[in-house]
Amino acid sequence: MCKIKICGITECSALPAINTALPDYAGFIMTAGFKRSVTEDFVRECAKVLDPRIKRVGVFVNDDARRIARLVKEGVINVVQLHGDEDGEYIKRLKNLCPVTVIKAVGVEGGRVLPYPEECDIVLLDATDKNARGGTGKRIEWRRYKFDKSFILAGGITDGNVREAIAAVGPWGVDSSGGLETDGKKDAEKIYRYVANVRECRHMDKESKKGRFGAFGGQYVPETLMSALEELEQAYKKYSADEQFNAELKYLLDEYAGRPSRLYFARNLTRFVGGCKIYLKREDLNHTGAHKINNALGQALLAKKMGKNRLIAETGAGQHGVATATAAALLGMECEIYMGEEDTKRQALNVYRMKLLGAKVHAVTSGTRTLKDAVNECMREWTNRIADTHYCLGSVMGPHPFPTIVRDFQAVISEEAREQILSKEGKLPAAVVACVGGGSNAIGAFYHFIGDKGVRLIGCEAAGRGIDTLQTAATVATGKPGIFHGMFSLFCQDSHGQIAPVYSISAGLDYPGIGPEHAYLHDIGRAEYVPVTDDEAVEAFGLLSRTEGIIPAIESAHAVSYALKVAKEYGADENIIVCLSGRGDKDVAAIARYKGEQIYD
Amino acid sequence: MTEISQAFAGGKKAFVGFITAGDPTLSDTKRYLEIMQDSGVDIIEVGIPFSDPIAEGPVIQNADARSLAGGVNLGDIFAMVESIDKKVPFLFMTYANPVYFYGYARFFARCRQAGVSGVIIPDIPFEESSEVKSVALGYGVTVIDMVAPTSEERIKKVCAKSQGFIYLVSSMGVTGMREKFDTDILSVYRKIRAVTDTPVCVGFGISSPEQAKTMAQISDGAIMGSAIVKIIERYGNKADEHLKEFLTSVASAVHSA
Repeated sequence: MCKIKICGITECSALPAINTALPDYAGFIMTAGFKRSVTEDFVRECAKVLDPRIKRVGVFVNDDARRIARLVKEGVINVVQLHGDEDGEYIKRLKNLCPVTVIKAVGVEGGRVLPYPEECDIVLLDATDKNARGGTGKRIEWRRYKFDKSFILAGGITDGNVREAIAAVGPWGVDSSGGLETDGKKDAEKIYRYVANVRECRHMDKESKKGRFGAFGGQYVPETLMSALEELEQAYKKYSADEQFNAELKYLLDEYAGRPSRLYFARNLTRFVGGCKIYLKREDLNHTGAHKINNALGQALLAKKMGKNRLIAETGAGQHGVATATAAALLGMECEIYMGEEDTKRQALNVYRMKLLGAKVHAVTSGTRTLKDAVNECMREWTNRIADTHYCLGSVMGPHPFPTIVRDFQAVISEEAREQILSKEGKLPAAVVACVGGGSNAIGAFYHFIGDKGVRLIGCEAAGRGIDTLQTAATVATGKPGIFHGMFSLFCQDSHGQIAPVYSISAGLDYPGIGPEHAYLHDIGRAEYVPVTDDEAVEAFGLLSRTEGIIPAIESAHAVSYALKVAKEYGADENIIVCLSGRGDKDVAAIARYKGEQIYD
Repeated sequence: MTEISQAFAGGKKAFVGFITAGDPTLSDTKRYLEIMQDSGVDIIEVGIPFSDPIAEGPVIQNADARSLAGGVNLGDIFAMVESIDKKVPFLFMTYANPVYFYGYARFFARCRQAGVSGVIIPDIPFEESSEVKSVALGYGVTVIDMVAPTSEERIKKVCAKSQGFIYLVSSMGVTGMREKFDTDILSVYRKIRAVTDTPVCVGFGISSPEQAKTMAQISDGAIMGSAIVKIIERYGNKADEHLKEFLTSVASAVHSA
């Protein structure tokens, strides 16, 4: 693990916080005449208070080697750091006087490390400035330096940038001084955050672990579910490579669900906007009216092969619930759907649809009574009964292997769309635009374009009443990294790490998280995520209905809304693809109410 | 900080008791925690409430909701726990996100400062646990491992390096009172014993002194949460006498096992 040094300690009041944070090294500037110089007696006092596990480093600039040796022998300091012109001879002399670990500060110029004496044990990389020996507070270039010695990265490190620094440079240790101060004094909170951030760089270990997209993903579920996840992972590995399984699934998708879905050139909408050509990937024309059936059929078939005859699923707008109930009816399986009580009211028609298909619908009354609570309840129910039950998760979220399984089943969207656009236009689209809640239609629409670097991938989040209000569900715009629902990803949360209630007019997008692969695509800058408000989505809902005679799901209307802006950025010889993830019949009554008209489902 | 092993000294069976911090208020919690250690509870689990406790049944879910509605936060919980004169080991039980959000190093540093010996985080299974264990270890805080009835082959890796005690989940599902137990707990216990000498306590669903005694007989201790929280749910800030009476009866049942 990366070593942690806090340097330039000048006041006793900082010591309790340093003891609590427990860095590896605490440094004192012991040559007089510098900004943070302190006396021998001050360091002696600190030695009494500092936790003995923290090594005390004396920092010197062209000082008397005999004085340094005395301080080491007296036990005032445990490690020596040299910031002046001390050469190999000097270090040899010092080590002869007393055996001690020596850190030598070395400058970097033009991206190259300046020569340093072989005799030192550890090198400290810092920006050089002859007038400000003992640390300049300036950053050196952050990149990988070739080294045969352990080295500490210093200069301009703060609690806020230390993780980035470690990721970029990969040092043996880090050192911060001025970066941990407020008004010239060490700040306890900054110290805690600095140390915590370095220790958490172990998160980079996450990348080498199973089921990760960069650092995101993982399997954060109770032990009671781990054996079920292992079983699922093995089964998926087996059947996803099984010709017969894939042939059966393809048959269901084509003959039953109506694939491939059309890639439709929206001529009127294109003319209305006056930019590039707009194509709609018509997932709304699938059986059950949304992309959700792609995944539901895949998982139901997989469960059946695993000998599990009971499906449970969460649903927000009800589209995934309907798709799962449909797959269960077709394959002769038992089915129970968990839906937030709020959503059962907003989407009453879908509730009845599920019942009609033979599923049992549980209205979830815990928490915020929406999608996140339906997921909670589904996970709890799964821990109750894993032997005969498969949790048919509806989005690219949750613990590994779900984000991968759901993405693979939805990837058919971009597999088709890429081929279709090439045959229609002879070129790739300038952008692919899709709405994002957990993100299953978006990842499905993006997946086969990820390798086409020239294709912009744009995810449209539900901003609700705006990202500057609390009534939003835009996770990338307003969320922070966290661990929830089985994954390390981005989540909307309050200032104490409690998951925040979210809001959107669309029941399918008001989820406080985003799938880990999206968090990764955002992190590496491969995909853009933009917020779209209720008002903008409702506007696009009406516009597409009037111009093309297509009533989109209010979820998909978020993508349509932003696509209008994107289309204007390109000329008539370019094209973009909008994933029309579902049809809007289910939303008609709610939109009427939103516009002040009272009609009943 | 009290060593967890102290609770099992001389082969003693341990009674592990849980309540949620801030239910109904933090000052009530402080009093109740003191009652717990004075009524024979050998290890105390303090629940840090979370908005979405996916391993909990309705009783503890509701306790978390009551606590959060009262505006409880982690800083105040640390201060409350720190102010208790501890006679037995204290643990925190919570979920990954509040700990991650607070910062692992900061969280475990404050645990050490507050005299909290260990943590139970049910949504961090063995595979993901190195990121917390490596930090907790640096501050001398123990991370408790959990074993489920379905762990089977996993027991070997989960328990190989376990510390403190192993939390054996009595049956599938979430926390909360159960009438009977379908799992062959003794056989799971024996599988764990084949791997490690770390004590094993059984939890989930234990609600009466009799059940606690039965579980303690076939393991090293019994863990009880919902049944205690239920008393607080019913009597609010006036649960003192009811808690004393109930906890004493459970403690004597466990200690006679």
